[in-house]
Amino acid sequence: MEQADVAIVGAGPAGLAAAALLAGHGAEVVVIDERPRAGGQIYRQPPATFRGEGLPPGRSYAAGRELLAAAAGASGLRWKLGTLAWALFEPRDAGPTPGRGEATWVVALADEEAGIGRLAVRHVLVAAGAYDLPVAFPGWTLPGVMSAGGVQAFVKSEKLLPGGCFVLAGAHPLLLVVADQLLRAGAELAAVVFAQPRPRLRDGASVALGLRGRVAPVLGLAGPLARLRKHGVPLLSSHLIAAAEGASALEAVRIAPVDGAWRPTAGPERRFSCDTLAVGYGFVPSTELARQAGANHRWKPREGGWVTDHDDWMRSSLAGISVAGETAGIAGAEQAAEEGRLAAIGILRELGALDGEQAARAAAPVRRALARRRALSGLVARRFEPAYAALAALADEETVVCRCEEVTAGALRAALATHPHLGSADAVKLVTRAGMGPCQGRFCMLTVASLIAAASGRELAEVGPFHASAPVKPLPVSQLAAAWPGPDSL
Amino acid sequence: MKSSPASRRLPVHAVVRPEPVSIMVDGEALEAYPGESLATALLAGGRRAFRATRSGALRGPVCNMGVCFDCVVVVETLGEVRACMTAVRAGLSVHTGLGNDGAGHGAG
Amino acid sequence: MERVDVAVIGGGLLGCATAYYLARGGASVALLERGELNREASGQNAGSLHFQLEFRMIVKGETIAEQFASAMPLFLDAQRTWATLEAELGTGLGVHIGGGLMVAESGAELAALERKSALENRAGLDTRLLDGEEARQVAPYLSPMVRGANWCPSEGHANPRLVAPAFAAAAARAGALIAARTPVVGLSRPDTAWLVETAGGPPLRAEVVVVAAGIWSGELTAMAGFALPLLPHALTIFATGASGPLIEHLIQHAGERLSLKQTAEGNVLVGGGWPSRLHERDGVPDPSLRPAARFGSITGSASVAARIVPAVAALSAIRIWTGITAASPDNVPVLGEVPGRRGLFVATAGSLFTLGPSFARLLAEQILESRSSLPLAAYSPARFAAATGGR
Repeated sequence: MEQADVAIVGAGPAGLAAAALLAGHGAEVVVIDERPRAGGQIYRQPPATFRGEGLPPGRSYAAGRELLAAAAGASGLRWKLGTLAWALFEPRDAGPTPGRGEATWVVALADEEAGIGRLAVRHVLVAAGAYDLPVAFPGWTLPGVMSAGGVQAFVKSEKLLPGGCFVLAGAHPLLLVVADQLLRAGAELAAVVFAQPRPRLRDGASVALGLRGRVAPVLGLAGPLARLRKHGVPLLSSHLIAAAEGASALEAVRIAPVDGAWRPTAGPERRFSCDTLAVGYGFVPSTELARQAGANHRWKPREGGWVTDHDDWMRSSLAGISVAGETAGIAGAEQAAEEGRLAAIGILRELGALDGEQAARAAAPVRRALARRRALSGLVARRFEPAYAALAALADEETVVCRCEEVTAGALRAALATHPHLGSADAVKLVTRAGMGPCQGRFCMLTVASLIAAASGRELAEVGPFHASAPVKPLPVSQLAAAWPGPDSL
Repeated sequence: MKSSPASRRLPVHAVVRPEPVSIMVDGEALEAYPGESLATALLAGGRRAFRATRSGALRGPVCNMGVCFDCVVVVETLGEVRACMTAVRAGLSVHTGLGNDGAGHGAG
Repeated sequence: MERVDVAVIGGGLLGCATAYYLARGGASVALLERGELNREASGQNAGSLHFQLEFRMIVKGETIAEQFASAMPLFLDAQRTWATLEAELGTGLGVHIGGGLMVAESGAELAALERKSALENRAGLDTRLLDGEEARQVAPYLSPMVRGANWCPSEGHANPRLVAPAFAAAAARAGALIAARTPVVGLSRPDTAWLVETAGGPPLRAEVVVVAAGIWSGELTAMAGFALPLLPHALTIFATGASGPLIEHLIQHAGERLSLKQTAEGNVLVGGGWPSRLHERDGVPDPSLRPAARFGSITGSASVAARIVPAVAALSAIRIWTGITAASPDNVPVLGEVPGRRGLFVATAGSLFTLGPSFARLLAEQILESRSSLPLAAYSPARFAAATGGR
């Protein structure tokens, strides 16, 4: 069994910043990421076989380039790319561990070539990022309906326009960034549709402008807005997706007017022909590994829903596990990097590499930077918080909510009516199968929880999340079978 | 399910790709670039649906980051893989279950 | 104060089914579950409907043979019950009786299966030993390593996630009150009826109380002064993603831990007694905490499954879960009235998915009519009275 001081799950901004800092202090660090190259999603690099433009040009990606360079240059860093961290085990459940028994966790790994492995470490940093918030509306399963983040990754990383004519709909500033990148890549945009009322949008842009003098512009929305206007792209506000239409693939998107609380209001629907719909209503923290290990989580709707609870050193409720970045609450790349640094300093303190005073000194500038980032991300979160109940109400009876198992909103509502004692997402999952497919509930969890809350009158916070078990992504049985240590391991 | 591609690869001023290779998709040859994802290759090749569910509903890529499992295809010698997480290399043979090659794969 | 004929404590399969049979029989029933219905062993198991002797029992000799023979009427009752349960409850339960195969890979395992089959036939259970070729004719998906198998046509599986809730819904239709998220905190008999106190809710008076709370049954009987010794067994199961129909039968192994089946939805479930780790609170195992999954059990169960059914190796494991089943010290279920505690009944401990609906019906008969159509004396909690040192 391999061993190291620290395992970092996730090579995005939080993981990269932590890795460089930890390695810089002489810690033995292993960075694990499922993707073939470091960068996470926000700094997702093109395939290694491509030459030319790496990350897109511009100030917002400069930070990413620096993080990647710093991590690449750090000695003592071991990389496990193209590798899945599928569970965290206590050493007594996955041992025996090498060394003098200092390991607090064993990270279970899987990659295509080496199969399954185990890595014994003294500390784990879960910096697993986030994924786009799935929203179930009629027709959302049609080919051509993609997440805004997914569309962005095709354009900036795969260097592909994943469609010809796009509608973008959502509630997050990312939508404007994606719209801009699509325009620059030569795409035709039929419409950009925001859930929020127009003054809120202007507030968002002015927030960026107002703070530009003090903080590096995170949003920088003024440029994209101007370009959309220049290209004559309709920019609508106060509308939600009503339906995606098409026979075997997307052909058009219908949107409907809503009020300031995203509830349906009087007014005509509008219809746009398109072949690709980029949906961007928000993000969901990838907390599966932290949940599987048993760390506490808290419902924070402005930070993406269920978020791993942490203290002021980014430590979770479990000894030996820290979190940083989106896993600890949606807040963007710059805050993720600062949290990664803070978590790393905290880990160095735990490992004894820094004493209390050294750690406090090292953390002071990071805490100041973090405070500035939190002020901005807090503003963004307030203005762009998803209205989960309103989004869940978009699903009509036939709308598939659990995409994997094809469980409709109608079937879920019927189950809730038949079994009124069902009060948790897990209980509903057992009866309806929602959440039992390969995505392991990632795409239906919030919608299911919202439906339960609506039917039972209970708060969303009490209803979920789904229990997360090993493996946090599906694993080939052949790999598991080949990894059996033998009968003595029981 | 194919149509004339609306998806298109971005041109050379943005990126220099390696020499293309040939892969098989549902029995037909498709030109693709080593290193790009199978999802990219299939979209650029005009495919919008990559698989069908147990009930026959067509699905295509959604998240492009390995969490939705709607882009799952069968690759010979690899089994079921997420197209967005699998890199193109020469000689890959992909089955979506939607093509005419009769090599449909298991439900779901 | 609310008064019912019977308070059933525990919302698993036994509790929900007992509530149903009692309500159907005309009793006023309240079912009290401290958490969510069917969330513990009843909802966590792999749904096997098995009748042939489990491998760990065949080494124990003649006592087991006697017990087995005397339990045969109950097994036959269970077979009949499962065959008509979906119709009775008016809903699908995923019942599939496709037959069961307990496989052998070595000569020693084969010899053990031969002895077992003879014993089963003597007791009245229809089983037949097949050689490797015959086994592969019945089940072509079995590996060439399989040298033989004990075939039991009455075995199969059902969907444990649906059964207890279906009983609960049917019980409610028959007039039972079903109360989830209602922990019982006190159980006493101040006069001619039991007093059941609940957390955050009004107390309940009941002529009869049935404790069907799995591993927690002892905590409840202790409130009434009776010590019920129960042992938690923490186990592990994993489920693969769905695939086309591949495995028709319930597969077990004569010498290894293996229980393998494919559900109606296409997922393959692999279990068979692979241990997980009970969490402890203050040094004592706490069955309320989900046991920790162990790397050795996950990989070990995958290894045996892939060896016996090679096609499973090509599937993906999408979900591993752990759960706890309760066992009595003598591995015999506990069913019946607690000695010295009139009107207090216990129902727990054993392979109670297969036998659960039958036990529930018999217990309801015992409660409503003071007799049951099959003898339940062998399961009486009276055998633990000496251990209590009490009356």
